[in-house]
Amino acid sequence: MANVIKPDISVVKEIISSGGESLKKCYQCATCSVVCNLSPDDNPFPRKEMINAQWGLKDRLVSDPNIWLCHQCSDCTAYCPRGAKPGEVIGAVRKMTIAHYAVPGFLAKMVGNIKYLPLLIAFPVLFLLAVLGATGHLHIPDGEIVFGHLMPHTLIDMVFVPVAMFAALVFAVGVLRFWKDIHGQCKCSLASLIPAIISVKLDILAHNKFRKCEVNKGRALAHMGVFYGFIGLAITTALAVFCLYILGQHSPYPQLSPLKIIGNISAIALLAGITLVVINRLRVKAQAGIGSYFDWLFIGVIYTVVLSGILAEVTRLMDIAMLAYPIYFVHLVSVFFLFFYAPYSKLAHMVYRSIALVYAKKNEKKDNPFSV
Amino acid sequence: MDKKLGVYICTGCGIGDSLDIEKLSKVATKEYKISVCKTHACLCADEGVGFIKSDCEAEAVTTTIICACSRRIHQDIFDFADKVVERVNLREHVVWSQPANHEDTQMMAEDYLRMGIVKAQKSQALDPYKPAEEISRVVLVVGGGVAGMTAAIEAAKAGTQVVLVEKEACLGGFSAKLHKHFPVNPPYDSLQTPPHVAMIKEVEVNPNINVHTSAKIQKIAGGPGLFDVTMEQKGESSQFRVGAIVLAAGFVPYDATKLAHLGFGASPNVITNVQMEELAKKGKIIRPSDGKEAKNVAFIQCAGSRDANHLPYCSTSCCMTSLKQAIYVREQNQDTAAYIFYKDMRTMGQHEDFYIRAQEDEGIFLTKGEVVGVKAIAGDNLAVTVENTLLGENIQIEADMVVLATGMVPVTGIEMVVKEVTIDDASCEQEQCSQVSSATPDETAIIKSDILNLEYRQGPELPQLRYGFPDSHFICFPYETRRTGIYAAGCVRHPMDIGACMDDACGAALKAIQCIELTSHGKAVHPRVGDMSYPEFFMQRCTQCKRCTDECPFGAINEDEKFNPLPNPTRCRRCGTCMGACPERIISFKDYSIDIISSMMKAINVPEEDEEKPRVLVFMCENDAVPALDMAGAKRLSLNPYVRVIPVRCLGSVHLVWITDALSKGIDGVLLIGCKHGDDYQCHFVKGSELANTRLSKVKETLDRLRLESERVKMVQLAINEYDLLPGIFSEFMETMEKVGPNPFKGF
Repeated sequence: MANVIKPDISVVKEIISSGGESLKKCYQCATCSVVCNLSPDDNPFPRKEMINAQWGLKDRLVSDPNIWLCHQCSDCTAYCPRGAKPGEVIGAVRKMTIAHYAVPGFLAKMVGNIKYLPLLIAFPVLFLLAVLGATGHLHIPDGEIVFGHLMPHTLIDMVFVPVAMFAALVFAVGVLRFWKDIHGQCKCSLASLIPAIISVKLDILAHNKFRKCEVNKGRALAHMGVFYGFIGLAITTALAVFCLYILGQHSPYPQLSPLKIIGNISAIALLAGITLVVINRLRVKAQAGIGSYFDWLFIGVIYTVVLSGILAEVTRLMDIAMLAYPIYFVHLVSVFFLFFYAPYSKLAHMVYRSIALVYAKKNEKKDNPFSV
Repeated sequence: MDKKLGVYICTGCGIGDSLDIEKLSKVATKEYKISVCKTHACLCADEGVGFIKSDCEAEAVTTTIICACSRRIHQDIFDFADKVVERVNLREHVVWSQPANHEDTQMMAEDYLRMGIVKAQKSQALDPYKPAEEISRVVLVVGGGVAGMTAAIEAAKAGTQVVLVEKEACLGGFSAKLHKHFPVNPPYDSLQTPPHVAMIKEVEVNPNINVHTSAKIQKIAGGPGLFDVTMEQKGESSQFRVGAIVLAAGFVPYDATKLAHLGFGASPNVITNVQMEELAKKGKIIRPSDGKEAKNVAFIQCAGSRDANHLPYCSTSCCMTSLKQAIYVREQNQDTAAYIFYKDMRTMGQHEDFYIRAQEDEGIFLTKGEVVGVKAIAGDNLAVTVENTLLGENIQIEADMVVLATGMVPVTGIEMVVKEVTIDDASCEQEQCSQVSSATPDETAIIKSDILNLEYRQGPELPQLRYGFPDSHFICFPYETRRTGIYAAGCVRHPMDIGACMDDACGAALKAIQCIELTSHGKAVHPRVGDMSYPEFFMQRCTQCKRCTDECPFGAINEDEKFNPLPNPTRCRRCGTCMGACPERIISFKDYSIDIISSMMKAINVPEEDEEKPRVLVFMCENDAVPALDMAGAKRLSLNPYVRVIPVRCLGSVHLVWITDALSKGIDGVLLIGCKHGDDYQCHFVKGSELANTRLSKVKETLDRLRLESERVKMVQLAINEYDLLPGIFSEFMETMEKVGPNPFKGF
């Protein structure tokens, strides 16, 4: 039975404009599928994704879990005889997928377009300035530098907890829609997924997939830095909440407290990781491509978060209030940016990729060719 | 002047070290009583050449026998203007492939010298053919398309007078039907104006080109240099003489009415790529059914091509045409979609760049696949079903127009029924009867396509290779048809794009000029370029058996009403196939005849049976097999010492009497080594080795009569690069000879 196909030029244009400009160069030789470590014999990945993208078959692309199994090792891009850069195209398709499942759609569009960057930055800046102004904190506090003097903890929580919850909600909606598309239905016994989830989480923690990369060697280490940096910072935050609300201790904490040690190490890991990411990208740009705005926006946000965090701490310790407080403000803005736009940004990959991996793991023994 | 032979033996290149030169010289001086027999350490050096020249002068030698290297080497050095030069190959064929100072090696060298001397003795001085009438230097170009006009322009630029005959009212050919042309110049990425526009102007102003439109060839008689053309133009018949002909009559698109399985005829919106050009040329690409702008256009590649039921071959330019037409559609409206379903995207050479250009367009959707159905659906639209696509599924596309990329049929492949046209009856016109399907039962038959109307005994048009394309030795001599002096160019020769047509036409024009030039000197064209011998017929003994007229691969021989052969020496390629065919042995060349080769054979010294030195005679084709033997020698491959090789012009010239003669002389076996024949033949004379094979199948009767085993005669096909097989071929045959035992005729 033949499937009725309706190609969509606008989808092709969308992929081209979001980092897949080489898309149309593909002439379907399947070199990419041959060099790809993931591609099984009976599913020509990413060749088929390339023609689906060339034909603008959006419904096939966004519900394709395989694009998330790709860790963009860029072997395909390096070996492509036509310079079609399948790795970059698949990256653009992932971006399109994130935008497709995130609500509201206009935010996704804004995150994906450099044109809206000033607006995206202005929102948290103005919002936080307004909060500070409304609560009478819009000045540099005197005396010993305590960031709590600029923005008290309660105020932080009042702003950032809703932001995080908003992101979580958007993610939840996206995940449900995504799962429905890839699985064919919404319902699925969670219990049946647990073994798959555990297995996938272990894989992610060990970066097993990443290690298969050839052209893009060293990416596992870089990603690990960022990944564990974030986990460390999450633990630090949890500890801070514990200290604050359970033990009643207020920041700043002594430099040798476990919380500080974990926090500082995580920050350094994050900085080192993200720097390695940039170095790797520059090193292999000829073979693997430099990446899209979407990628670099995310890198930029992480840099801002980690650098403003470290600098705020350093200037605080050096007791330069004129620098410490403004830098801390920048830090708050960047964290707001990171959290609030997470479902629309590249950060969303952690959610969709995990879901796709769980799906793949679950179906491993049945019909999924992408054996993990 | 009396013939006086002089033998010059070179002792360089290891010849002197491997042979007893004094003993060898005695063959000449004692056996053949040749007084002049000299040796020199290096004949090919200036000193050696000077030595030969002064010695010839002193001894009044008229025919030199150079016993040195292969005849294929140093032809320019051993060229003594007024003297006949015979070459004996002691180097590659003897000392380089045989053990030094061995009895058998010496015997081999002596035999080759004997054969060389006999050949020189028997050969007569050449007297090149000069027709009584003056040779015309005009080139006739048939067809006024891009190929024809290019041939005319190029020939005219070379200073040749050209007559260009075009059947349509205006020049331009198929190119004139095009809206735009895909790029043939760097950077190969944008559409171009078809090239005929500029060419027509050039042709019309060129004083060397005489254009006749609305004209057709009624008759061509004669041969190269002497073609008498009868042309009919607007009811008037005229006659003129030309020297050579370029056939650039082009192609017609494959008949789309046979493509009902692709929807042609089911809906007016299923059109061919030719109709698409017409639409584009009119300005707007609209659907034939309702005049609405076409917004979803599906192109179906290989429509009736590469298909056993239609044209089995690829027409090479339809992929490019569809890419071009997809761009037409897209340029008209950026919202339109063009689909291209291909079997294989074939964009040769630099055209790849144009493919990339078309691919980059986001509205052009390409996939490999097999179109299994085109159905008319609501709204005059069409549902195109494609299987085995690159999308990994069978798909259906809704299109509002479907374009079938049809291939090319050479005009020479189309049979025309010609009403008897009389000169008086101007209103009479030929009618196209039917296109001959590609599966013509007799593939070699001459299709009466009413283009050249040659007065040749074998038929009025060019013999075809397959599918109606004129036969040619496509590896070595692509433009040479099997009618000497007629050179095919462009899509009539094989499917090609306009750029290739222009290149092709230059080649064919050059060939035509060369042909006239060589003919005017009585010389042969390819592959025996410059050969001044030609076949002579001893008519008193002719039995009108028609074998020569039938078997000549080039249709050189006509016949009169009593079936006497009428040779046309300017059509002859000098292969000697007629000589090999003639049962009465009345055909001979001055330097190549039944008698010369028989005498050479008889000069071979055949040892008695008890000496246990068998002898095998090898007739070897000069074109590929002898060069292969030279290569085997140059590579120092060890060859059987009992083999004696006689180079022949073509295996087609091998007469069965030579085989009988050899066997009755006591030679143990006869081997024929020539070019491959069959579909992918390599025979330089097209049919020679095939004919030899056919004739050989009849030699068994003769062998039976002599009470000899049929294993004693064998034919082997060899390509020029297969020199490494020769030692094995020789030794294997020698093993067979050992099995069948010595020839009982030895010593008679």
